[in-house]
Amino acid sequence: MSDTILTEDLRARIGETRVYVAPEPIGKAAFRYFALAIGDHNPLYTDEQFARDHGYDGVIAPPTLVCETNQYANLPKEPTGYAGHGWDLEVPGTRLLRGGNEYTFHQAVRPEDILTVTWRIDDMAERMSSKGRPMVIVTSVAEYANQNGELLVTNSETLIYQSRGSGS
Amino acid sequence: MTSLIAGTPIPPLERRIDITDMVAYAGATWDWHRLHYDMDYIRKTGFGAPIVDGQMLGALMAQCVQDWVGPDARLIKLGFRFLTPVEAGNVVRCDGVTVSVESGVAKCDLTAHILDAEGRVVGTAATGSAEVKLT
Repeated sequence: MSDTILTEDLRARIGETRVYVAPEPIGKAAFRYFALAIGDHNPLYTDEQFARDHGYDGVIAPPTLVCETNQYANLPKEPTGYAGHGWDLEVPGTRLLRGGNEYTFHQAVRPEDILTVTWRIDDMAERMSSKGRPMVIVTSVAEYANQNGELLVTNSETLIYQSRGSGS
Repeated sequence: MTSLIAGTPIPPLERRIDITDMVAYAGATWDWHRLHYDMDYIRKTGFGAPIVDGQMLGALMAQCVQDWVGPDARLIKLGFRFLTPVEAGNVVRCDGVTVSVESGVAKCDLTAHILDAEGRVVGTAATGSAEVKLT
């Protein structure tokens, strides 16, 4: 348990990037589907005239949609069913937990936007949990831009690789 | 929003998140992870019920803030930390309070509470913060 779980091999991956380009525009139907799914009936996401009356060029995406969709990744399904970006980091004896996210919204997302998403491993750090078990905290940053190179949203995500406990 | 000052509370937004909502969210985000609907898989991971995608709480927080400030204001930042997993069928209540209003930007703190059947707060699913550019 006193050995570091943040190995040199893991640390060497800080700075690694992945770039995904969506195969098609995100589309107006995606806005309405997401809004329906979360029960958000704000007309900004579905009513062109309402959105224009409030300073937009037309309907906009619910704010967190682009940070959540795997539409741009176009990756095959894993055995878990997941089909989105991941780093496939091997941290033996740990399980992966999601820590949280920090979104910065630069520009509203419009139906015609074709996403280019750049993920980068920003940092890794080893910490002790409150139970005295080591964990690795991985911070990655995703930048979402459109086909005109305009930055739409930045998403800083925290992943926690937590030791499974004694004996593992 | 003319009277918005530090200490102004954010009207709460309450939602029961059922398995159908979770399946709809999985579809809407192209995220078909079994943790959100497949009981055989869920039992193997040690959970007792389907687990709500944590980012659904982020969507709820965004809605809570945008509904509060109105369609002319712009959400410019939203951050959240997960504390307790939310299970299918749980009721979540998002609320918050204004921390500061400076140069047309309001900052607020947010909490996503877990409620029991009687509407009592029994846990904290996530805490967060947001910044809004007011008009």
